[in-house]
Amino acid sequence: MRLNKILAGSAGGYLVMVSFHVFLGYLLPRPEVMATAFFSGYILWAFLLLWAFTTRHIWRLWMIYLALTFLFLLPHILKITPLYGS
Amino acid sequence: MDLRKYNIYFHTHTISGIIIAALLYVIFFAGSFSFFRDDITAWQKGRSAVSEEIDADYNFLMDSLSRNYNLRGRDFGFYLLRQGHGTYVNMSPSKDTTISKPRKEAPGRGRGRRGGNDDSAYFLYHFTDKKPVTYTEGYDMGEFLYRLHFLAQLNQVPIRIGTPFGYLLAGIVSFLFLFALITGLLLHWDKIVSNFFLFRPWSKWKTVWTDMHTALGVIGFPFQFIFAVTGIVLIVNFVLISPFARLLYNGDQEKVYEELEYNIPMKAVYSYRPLPGSFDLNGLVSDWQTRWGKSPVTRINIINYLDSNMQVLISSKPHPAESFAGSGYALVEVASGKVLQQKSPVSDTHYIDRVKSALYHLHFGDFGGKPLRIVFFILGFTGCIVIISGIVIWLVARDKTATPRHKRVFNFWASNFFLAACLSMLPVTAFTFIMIKALDVVNQSVIYQVYFYSWLVLGIFLMAWRNLPLMNKITLGLSAALCFGVPLANGLYDGLWMWNTYLRHEWDIFFIDFLFLTLSAVSGFALWRVLRDAKPFKIIG
Repeated sequence: MRLNKILAGSAGGYLVMVSFHVFLGYLLPRPEVMATAFFSGYILWAFLLLWAFTTRHIWRLWMIYLALTFLFLLPHILKITPLYGS
Repeated sequence: MDLRKYNIYFHTHTISGIIIAALLYVIFFAGSFSFFRDDITAWQKGRSAVSEEIDADYNFLMDSLSRNYNLRGRDFGFYLLRQGHGTYVNMSPSKDTTISKPRKEAPGRGRGRRGGNDDSAYFLYHFTDKKPVTYTEGYDMGEFLYRLHFLAQLNQVPIRIGTPFGYLLAGIVSFLFLFALITGLLLHWDKIVSNFFLFRPWSKWKTVWTDMHTALGVIGFPFQFIFAVTGIVLIVNFVLISPFARLLYNGDQEKVYEELEYNIPMKAVYSYRPLPGSFDLNGLVSDWQTRWGKSPVTRINIINYLDSNMQVLISSKPHPAESFAGSGYALVEVASGKVLQQKSPVSDTHYIDRVKSALYHLHFGDFGGKPLRIVFFILGFTGCIVIISGIVIWLVARDKTATPRHKRVFNFWASNFFLAACLSMLPVTAFTFIMIKALDVVNQSVIYQVYFYSWLVLGIFLMAWRNLPLMNKITLGLSAALCFGVPLANGLYDGLWMWNTYLRHEWDIFFIDFLFLTLSAVSGFALWRVLRDAKPFKIIG
């Protein structure tokens, strides 16, 4: 149970954090998004980790994290061209 | 706040905190001293870098190199020390296959991979004494403490996981630290205003420690938060870069670093046609230095030396008084004298510069001169105090009659170990400072041996007493004595008494002596108060 929470928070949180910024990279200039992620990424990840500890429904949180990751990665899966640059 | 959330914050804060406590202390302690890295270097070498004008003579350096090597077709990297009094030099083998023997595989690019069986070289060069020294010979206490603060010494632990073990560990510690900071703040949220300045130093010990932990933790929070985040970025940013490279750049990591302007690509190929005319590196550098004014040159890269396709890249960082953020460079084709690419360090600042400058400046504390560094040093030590008080709170909160005895014994030994490792750092550091003055030969392995063995011996000695209050008194006493010995050793062995360095305006050397004198006085004062006033306490009866 506790291991599951740690795993959901660290691995799941990491997937959401990275995919979220990749998603932003499709909407905004990529180098700028990456530089912003230096700060926003790790802080977001820490909060996603915390969320896994505070939630009462750990499996629902897994679903949310995986669904969000999938959603954010859609532009990449569908091979959509980013708005800025190639 | 509901009780359930409070309990969750409490537990996650406690667990993440106690796991990283000892390593985080090492990071904070060594990191705080690293703010004065250049001063420590000057102190050790007995040679001030601030009292004299520096004349960076690159032509002389190239001339003396050419006596031992054929320089044609080589690449060079000069990484200048912060005060510009010296430079690290990286020299590649020649691309001219009549000079170097061709090798089968391409040389590994990237930092940290040095040596090999070719005739490349990596060394430290001081412009004042004009002598190259190898990295391990030039290794000093400043470098040691700087590298200790991201656990570089642990990289030698033979655990192969694709990334240096020490760096990875430091990264994990800083991420858990960030997590502990957030949960700690949320935990204390309701009392953050009412207890902001709450210190009850005459209360019982647990109250004193709790006040110390929460009040200093909250006051230091912004500082520590910045260091947690920037620390993660500086040490394990591949965690972010590699998925981005894979998903947004089709795995082209080089391209990512180019777009983030970590490296400016230099793409000219070796042509086997010699450069017409001669080349004056001094002239080129000083030319750009005049254009950039106060912003110092930080790096020089040369490719295809003395070839007709030779290019030079001069990089600069803005002087913090002129601009907080920025980065400048000039890429010059030597044969034609054409400037291929350029960017002013002061005026052409864009968003990525701002992010990166914020990152580096905030972490290195190099934008406000010495006063800022001193403030950062004190805040860093405050972090150490928060960690120590956290460990003792953790211990006494678990030292109840209801707790099974074997757990209490385990908790005690964990704390005993953590505190012995942490508290012995100051005396051990001061001791090593004295020893590097007393010993004739000082290099990397000497510093390693003196520091780590004395740490081990003192740590075991302190643990053996199984008495935390006594451990505190011993380390305070040793700190007071050994810190006082640091300026003494400098005077006795090198004749650099504080009044001499003061009169000669060698502020960097003077400062280190002064710093240790202050630390000695603070330790002595603390010891005196502890002996006079402290109420005794006992762990496990």
